[in-house]
Amino acid sequence: MSGRGRNSASAAAMFAAALCFFHGAIAEEVPRKAQACVLCHGPGGNSTDPAMPSLAGQPAQFISMQLFMFREGNRKDPQMSPMASSLSNADMNELAAYFSRQKPAAASHATASENAAAGRRLSEQHHCVQCHGPALLGLQHIPRLAGQQFAYLRTQLRGFKDKTRADFDGNMTSAAELLSEKDIEILADYLSGLAPSRD
Amino acid sequence: MSPAPFRSLISLTSALVCVFSAGAAQAQPPAAPAAPPSWQQGRNAEQEKSPLHPFAIEVTGKTAMLLPVDKLKVPAGFKVEVWAEGLPGARSMALGSKGTVFVGTRQLKDVYAIVDRGGKREVKTILKDLDSPNGVVFSRGTLYVAERHRITRYDGIESRLDSPPEAKVVVDGLDPQKQPGHFWKFLALGPDGKLYYNVGAPGNIVMPAYFQAGISRVDPRTGIIENYAQGVRNSVGFDWHPQTRQLWFTNHGRDWLGDESPNDTLHVATRKGQHFGYPYCHQGDTLDPEFGKNRSCSEFTPPALKLGAHIAPIGMRFYSGKMFPAEYQNNIFIAMRGSWNRAIKQGYDVTRVSFDADGKPKMEPFLTGFLVDEKADPPMWGRPNDVMVMRDGSLLVSDDQNGIIYRVSYAGK
Repeated sequence: MSGRGRNSASAAAMFAAALCFFHGAIAEEVPRKAQACVLCHGPGGNSTDPAMPSLAGQPAQFISMQLFMFREGNRKDPQMSPMASSLSNADMNELAAYFSRQKPAAASHATASENAAAGRRLSEQHHCVQCHGPALLGLQHIPRLAGQQFAYLRTQLRGFKDKTRADFDGNMTSAAELLSEKDIEILADYLSGLAPSRD
Repeated sequence: MSPAPFRSLISLTSALVCVFSAGAAQAQPPAAPAAPPSWQQGRNAEQEKSPLHPFAIEVTGKTAMLLPVDKLKVPAGFKVEVWAEGLPGARSMALGSKGTVFVGTRQLKDVYAIVDRGGKREVKTILKDLDSPNGVVFSRGTLYVAERHRITRYDGIESRLDSPPEAKVVVDGLDPQKQPGHFWKFLALGPDGKLYYNVGAPGNIVMPAYFQAGISRVDPRTGIIENYAQGVRNSVGFDWHPQTRQLWFTNHGRDWLGDESPNDTLHVATRKGQHFGYPYCHQGDTLDPEFGKNRSCSEFTPPALKLGAHIAPIGMRFYSGKMFPAEYQNNIFIAMRGSWNRAIKQGYDVTRVSFDADGKPKMEPFLTGFLVDEKADPPMWGRPNDVMVMRDGSLLVSDDQNGIIYRVSYAGK
């Protein structure tokens, strides 16, 4: 590796370390492969950008499956597709393991008061809780929705409804089919304000 | 059904009710309940809050180093080892004449070839971008691959693994509706030289079309297809008895009839044209609560053996190798992928079916240790999917959860 490369790597590591210090939640060093990820997904995979999903504490199998779908072209995204194109299966598993170990930051989004009960009702009526779990925390290949970024959730739900967002087994396409734009707005608002972990 | 005049009256009334209620409450119109995912089809009202769900495979595979493979158990005198890894989604296996092991996938789009180079095995992805290439058969230099919609042949492939020939179509148009359903295919070559494949039921418990819920066969020379067995919800494993030459097959029973019902089953087809019960009768003796009305189980051919509820039998092979003890001759090995539609999980093993002097089958576990906690979610770390007898008589077992192939051998006492 060139001296310059090493410098920028250590600068990035210092930057990450500084962020870790401020967030105080990350106990482990950011692995090399994950350094590019955290630039958008936030330190430890806790995003602060409403359009960028948080990865922290997501189930490992969910993360590796999404990376796989980006690489294989099932999911397409101008930023993620090139990022995933050069990752091996082993890289994906390593990134998935790292981000799944990180502690999710508390939800920064506040659900509008009129949407809390309506959102819960929709999440039951449309079977969200069936797969994502009663607290919407996800498991195995199914993502945590609780505390996820609002704009990101809304974009994904719109994508499933429009059949532009790839779906591993068809469950989400079928679940989103009958959502109205208003339902999507309420659900995203509700889910984003939920606590992202049990403790 | 109500007579037509009543029906229009009812719709008129409900239309009025809708107008009034919409005006009065000013709320959103009552949304129709969303269509549930297909695996939830057939649940009763009580089951709507059920936490049971299917498990997804690790699409990127998992390395055996990170898995408790040392917990795998086989009977005394046998040995199990990891034979190959790095084959995400590995399912059906076929053996080439030069020793290449071909492996199909269902949730991926790839077919793999494993080449044994003096004990070190190399995995190649030889076919890509196929539509659920689950079924693989090798015969006289040709690899046949069953996708959802077609069966193709790749001639002379074993000497061209790095530049496989173009696919030649044996039969196409097998998936006309392109809907969710049990339409990935197992493929096996019968003693009659025809390729046998399943077309499963289009959902959990629904009335199948005439070409669905059965086993069909196609003559690879002519492309002519025939229905062979009917009333089979989904069979993704079959083989022919080495002596009787009869077709034996595993079958998946319906979901959402409870933890103990119905059993998944092992069947024998003694001739073409038999009906095995779906959707009317399950496990030979249990009428379906909806489709079984006005039917009798005596109309259908019963199973040879009940295997357990939701245990998910996949690949099966008769053992006629030379390595295992004599009592294993003409036994059946079945890969049980394991239950999801059951509170207490079972399966997740390779089961041995042997026959007594009267030909009565009985089953016992052969390769176990994938199931860790029958009440956990997930309960297992691996899922056996297919079995294949190698020329030396050892048994390969594919695990699609992790993309690993294990080898079971016998060394004696």
